Amino acid sequence: MTVKWIGKRMMLGILVLFILSFLSFFIMHASPGSSATAYYGGNAQMLSAAEKERISRTFALDRPLVVQYGAWLMETVQGNLGMSAKEGRPVSAILAERVTNTLLLVGVSLFFIVTGSILLGMEAGMKPNSLLDRGLSSFSIASSSIPAFWLGILFIYLFSLKLGLLPSSGMQSIGGNDDFFDKVRHLIMPAAVIVLTHVGVYARFLQDSVKMEMRSYYVKTARANGVEEREIRSGVLRNALIPYLNYLGMTIPSFFGGSVIVETLFSWAGLGQLMAKSVMVKDYPLLMGGIMLTGIIVVVSLFVIDVLMFILDPKLRKRELGV
Amino acid sequence: MKSNKIFIFWCALFGLIVLITVFANLFSTYPVNEMNMDKVYMAPGDGHILGTDHLGRDVFTRLLHGGKVTLTVAFGSVLLSLVIGVMYGSVSGYVGGWVDSAMMRLLEALISIPSLIFVLAFQAVMQGGMWGMTFIIGVTGWFTTARIVRSEFIRLKEADYVKMARMFGTPIWRIITGHLLRNSVTPLFVVTIFNLAGAVFIEVSLSFLGIGIPPSIPSWGNMLYNAQNDLLIGAWWIGLFPGLLIFFTVLSINFIGEMLKDSRL
Repeated sequence: MTVKWIGKRMMLGILVLFILSFLSFFIMHASPGSSATAYYGGNAQMLSAAEKERISRTFALDRPLVVQYGAWLMETVQGNLGMSAKEGRPVSAILAERVTNTLLLVGVSLFFIVTGSILLGMEAGMKPNSLLDRGLSSFSIASSSIPAFWLGILFIYLFSLKLGLLPSSGMQSIGGNDDFFDKVRHLIMPAAVIVLTHVGVYARFLQDSVKMEMRSYYVKTARANGVEEREIRSGVLRNALIPYLNYLGMTIPSFFGGSVIVETLFSWAGLGQLMAKSVMVKDYPLLMGGIMLTGIIVVVSLFVIDVLMFILDPKLRKRELGV
Repeated sequence: MKSNKIFIFWCALFGLIVLITVFANLFSTYPVNEMNMDKVYMAPGDGHILGTDHLGRDVFTRLLHGGKVTLTVAFGSVLLSLVIGVMYGSVSGYVGGWVDSAMMRLLEALISIPSLIFVLAFQAVMQGGMWGMTFIIGVTGWFTTARIVRSEFIRLKEADYVKMARMFGTPIWRIITGHLLRNSVTPLFVVTIFNLAGAVFIEVSLSFLGIGIPPSIPSWGNMLYNAQNDLLIGAWWIGLFPGLLIFFTVLSINFIGEMLKDSRL
């Protein structure tokens, strides 16, 4: 039964990727004469006619758009994402260099957002009328109203320019040779910007669901029966986490969208910065590759969240598996 | 009572921002694009209350005109996504059956894709001006609206007055506009307000990155395009004021949305 459930989820993920690729492909290729030459890579002039002919045949460049999409899909599934129009290197090689950087930035940010928001949201929800309880919603609205890049600029001004504490951009200092602590120092500001603009919203969401749980009968009954406060806390958290995870799943896509902006601001060499750059120089194969890889990461994260919810929520298990 | 006053405060603040940008011409002290190479990087004060930028243009004037562009893009795109979302959601919710499940599957997939990615794909081929940006944000921003319309329709469809109307042979479009849409106005309004905040964010972020509105048109995002470099040479006013105005605009929109959402419950 579980296998069937996983299979169903995976089908959904594949559907998402299919729709994503279809729409992106058509958006980018629908404009006349835009991207056919892009597949030749940066050195179109140097290619022989036979070479051009071969690439053109592989990607069906002289055929209708639907056929082109089919050709692109066939090649992509086999791992051939074409050549970067500007750099003249295989798209897959460029993506491979960058994907870990994005995963590092987003992973670290997400870790602090989740732990921070759970701590704050629990505390605020369990202690009605405390300062945290009353202040959290204002903090959440205010922090989500600051454009991330602008907060980043303020940080650069304060921490790099005025205080000289942290590097203003890049992933390592000039001449630095992959030093771990150097990388951490470069990671602090971009990650802090993402965390600060998001943590309030998630904390507030958890606070609301904790409050809802606290009003329910099982908590009152447990209290009346003298169940320890610590145990009540863990029960409430467990139940409040279910809608929280659902919310996290709903908002995680925008998270990867937001990293495009933060990565570019801090010159963090990740997928987001790569995509923004590809838009600027109209490097379609590279942009398409970045889009697909981002899509895959999102789909996988959604799957992980689904599994977590499945573990936490007996009702969902029952409904999906019928046991 | 207290929350009523706060609500009015945020509405007034937002209204004020809209007004001064709409009537930018009345308030601005210089022509928008007037450059003055003798007066580059002037600090706030004397003649230029918010200083000048790297081309000697008046920051205050550009702030007003830039707001006009940013807010036009935001309002226009939100209107577009409202129309698309209502149409998609209506069909899905009203028709029901396999049409609904197919449309919902598609919507679910669309929601799980970062909408900024579609924006980037569009920008790669279009890179139009203000209206191009409006179109792009609009066609990529209707997903939540559609979902809300659909779920409202499904709930309201079973109401007695709708069943009655159908029994009396009221035409479908009148049931949809007169009964179903009319009773979904509040949640639709709330989601549209939050979309407005999101649209402002997308425009300023993309223009800041240099892949939004072309630099020749002043917008809040464009004004920040050079802010990072300006800051490094100490010209803090060029980045600070547009940022503050964006912050207070989005803040007032978000507070209005939150308070409307709470009053509904």
